[in-house]
Amino acid sequence: MKIRHLVWLRRCSQAFFLLLFLFLVVESRLPQDYYLDYTQLISGEKELRLEQPVTFFFQADPLVWITSLISGHVLIKGFGWSLAVLILTLVFGRVFCGFICPLGTLHHLVSYFRPALTGRRLIKANQKTNSRKIKYFILILLLVSALFGLNFSGILDPIAFFYRSLALAVLPGAGIGIKEIFDFLARTDIKVLNYLSYTAEVLVSPVFGYGYQAFKTGWLIGTIFLLILFLNRIRPRFWCRTLCPLGALLGIFSRFSILGLSKKTDLCTQCDRCKKVCAGAAGPIPGDAWQKSECLMCLNCHNTCPEDAVAFKLRSPFGDAGTDMGRRAVLGGLTAGVALPFFSRLDGQIHTVSSPNLIRPPGALPERVFLTLCQRCGLCMKACPTNVINPALTEGGLAGFWTPNLIMIQGYCEYTCTLCGSVCPTGAIADISAREKIEEPVRIGSAYFDRGRCLPWSGNGPCIVCEEHCPTSPKAIYFYEDTVRGPAGTRVRVKLPQVDLKKCVGCGICENKCIVKGRPAIRVIAAGESRSVRNQILL
Amino acid sequence: MNTEKQLTRRESIKKLLRIWSGLSLGGTAVLSLQRPRPSLAAGDAPKFLVDGVGRTEGYSVNALTRKIFEAVGGMGKFVSKGDVVAIKPNISWARAPHLAATTNPEVLEAVIELCQEAGAKKVRIVDHTIHGAKRCFAVTGAGMVAKNTGADLVHPRSSLMRDMKLGGNRLDVWPVFKPVVEADTLINLPVAKVHGLSGLTLGMKNWIGAVGGRRNALHQDIHQTIVDLEHFFKPDIILIDATRVMIRNGPSGGSTADVAIMNRLILSNDPVAADARAARLFDKKPERIGFIQLGQKQGLGVYDTAISRHLEVAV
Repeated sequence: MKIRHLVWLRRCSQAFFLLLFLFLVVESRLPQDYYLDYTQLISGEKELRLEQPVTFFFQADPLVWITSLISGHVLIKGFGWSLAVLILTLVFGRVFCGFICPLGTLHHLVSYFRPALTGRRLIKANQKTNSRKIKYFILILLLVSALFGLNFSGILDPIAFFYRSLALAVLPGAGIGIKEIFDFLARTDIKVLNYLSYTAEVLVSPVFGYGYQAFKTGWLIGTIFLLILFLNRIRPRFWCRTLCPLGALLGIFSRFSILGLSKKTDLCTQCDRCKKVCAGAAGPIPGDAWQKSECLMCLNCHNTCPEDAVAFKLRSPFGDAGTDMGRRAVLGGLTAGVALPFFSRLDGQIHTVSSPNLIRPPGALPERVFLTLCQRCGLCMKACPTNVINPALTEGGLAGFWTPNLIMIQGYCEYTCTLCGSVCPTGAIADISAREKIEEPVRIGSAYFDRGRCLPWSGNGPCIVCEEHCPTSPKAIYFYEDTVRGPAGTRVRVKLPQVDLKKCVGCGICENKCIVKGRPAIRVIAAGESRSVRNQILL
Repeated sequence: MNTEKQLTRRESIKKLLRIWSGLSLGGTAVLSLQRPRPSLAAGDAPKFLVDGVGRTEGYSVNALTRKIFEAVGGMGKFVSKGDVVAIKPNISWARAPHLAATTNPEVLEAVIELCQEAGAKKVRIVDHTIHGAKRCFAVTGAGMVAKNTGADLVHPRSSLMRDMKLGGNRLDVWPVFKPVVEADTLINLPVAKVHGLSGLTLGMKNWIGAVGGRRNALHQDIHQTIVDLEHFFKPDIILIDATRVMIRNGPSGGSTADVAIMNRLILSNDPVAADARAARLFDKKPERIGFIQLGQKQGLGVYDTAISRHLEVAV
């Protein structure tokens, strides 16, 4: 097989995995096909589940596997894929980066379609720099910190990073724009435009749904994503070379791979073409030492060289330069990795106080364990049919940044839905069944009334919306009839709602549907959540 | 190679702006739509009330539904060839059919089949659900019915809500789910169940599921707003599903302990009579249910006892 074929094989593979990734992101929502056999739903034999294996890329991500293992001491479902990736790396080097990684492919595209740098400047940008050591620092920081109970690898893991950026910023952002156009067209009284809007809306609904989605820190996620893409203008594949912890991990594992770059110094004319196309700054030119752990296995140098002075060949695994992580990166990573987990507990979330607003999805493990497993990938947030799960900004403290948090004014936890647990790639949210959720019951918090705002309690009139929506049977919200003082001294006979804490599961539909918007008259706090022993209310 | 003059960035922006301004001008015209269709129920059509009773063990709900329509001359009386039919079931809660929070899918399926046999061009299932629509469609069985019959299941969304003039005593202008009114024939297909505020959820209350906006505020004057909505929507026919009814924990229920099996269907072209008849299934006097009493007073219809053509069919 000629090298030209191999480069095309790489491009096809990159395209395939990028498209597969996009497809799985889009598919991370309830099936578009409503037409389930409801007889199975009645008997409880069948749960509403996603049709596609949306966690595939997380299963194939060795960083997710290793951090979950050392931090939460669990083997995640489907870790065989990441084992396969590691073995592939042991034999052939960082082929994951060059052939598979969807984020790497995106950077590749951005860097090469409209390059900011050309000629000598591009060659200069593709020189080996010390900044490459940053990724080893990050990797060691993440691993050590995971060992001490804070697993935040997902913030910089390329799969989680890309998934979160697409699912929580790019797609919903585009969706809002499109939806506004549809609504605008529907408001016009031009029949053709109306039909156009309805039809187009149905056509794009598999991707964007029918509603306006909102994610609380979506703007931040989107900004960081754009920033990282922009860095490709400074150096091609800046992320892969400088920041990516998975790249660093695979770099270390590629130490003894048997696919290597053979150089023939006598044939080289020093035309520098290989340096121009080398995305990893791995020193492809004869005369420079080839940096095995930096090489992204894109095969560009081999393909470009007019003299065939460089070529990838199977050869002895020894003899190439080792991984140069840099002592400072290693020591710095170690120190920071030890310090960070304990710093992150300074807010007391785990040991002393419980934030009332930190409401976790149903089935979420106790906070301490949860933080050892959550990748902050956003899968649960994307899959949630009511859009209630949001990436936390401050609710979970420093350690809980971007972890799932339920915001009831935005959605509510559907009583019979357990989709979030079924899609969690690491099991930070347990995969419970609807029956378990209802019968145990799994509480995520509890509701309380703000009598000053509540219409009946404040004498402003009848209202039973919270009771009407309460999904438990018997209902957790009940009434007693009484006379209260209304405006101007009137006496009003109303049904006064109250919460039965024994029955309330904290689903938040009462808060969501309350007629008082923004800060409703009934609100849910985390107190009473079943995952925490400390946070119980009743004896 | 490329000799054609390319559009510069500036030019393309100008062009876009021009198109945009044209579109916005077209969109400024705001219309308040009045329901265009003359209603059968409101006219002088003779009123009827039919009780359908499933007596035999394991009776077919489909057969009962067919029989109840045959008793008044068949679906052809209400649906003409080429009609667009909108059916408003109550599928607002993502609850399995046996929990009785939603319209029995077998009844829904039978009614759609009848409409299609009568020559309807299009049958639409329309409901602005409370829980997420996708989930409601799946869990209540409505999605499967739509698939079996080929009826359209309209996904509620903001682009289908339209401010309309209701002209009621309490409600003047309110966002309405458009496909409900854009039909030649409108069939109300509610499920009978208890409700914390209005006492019962029957046919008239089903229209709260046909509007958008701040509809949770309607509860502050529930009876009058229900009557206002009924005045506006005026269905051609009402079929109340009481095959199994929720007798406590309404309107969402959630347990089979809340459900009683009644094996009844009630068909009428008078909204008050239908609701009044259904109220008696719960051992309640219609005069004691606010919206039924108010509907009768404001001329929506008459109590069940005042209807001379009161039939009963059974299977």
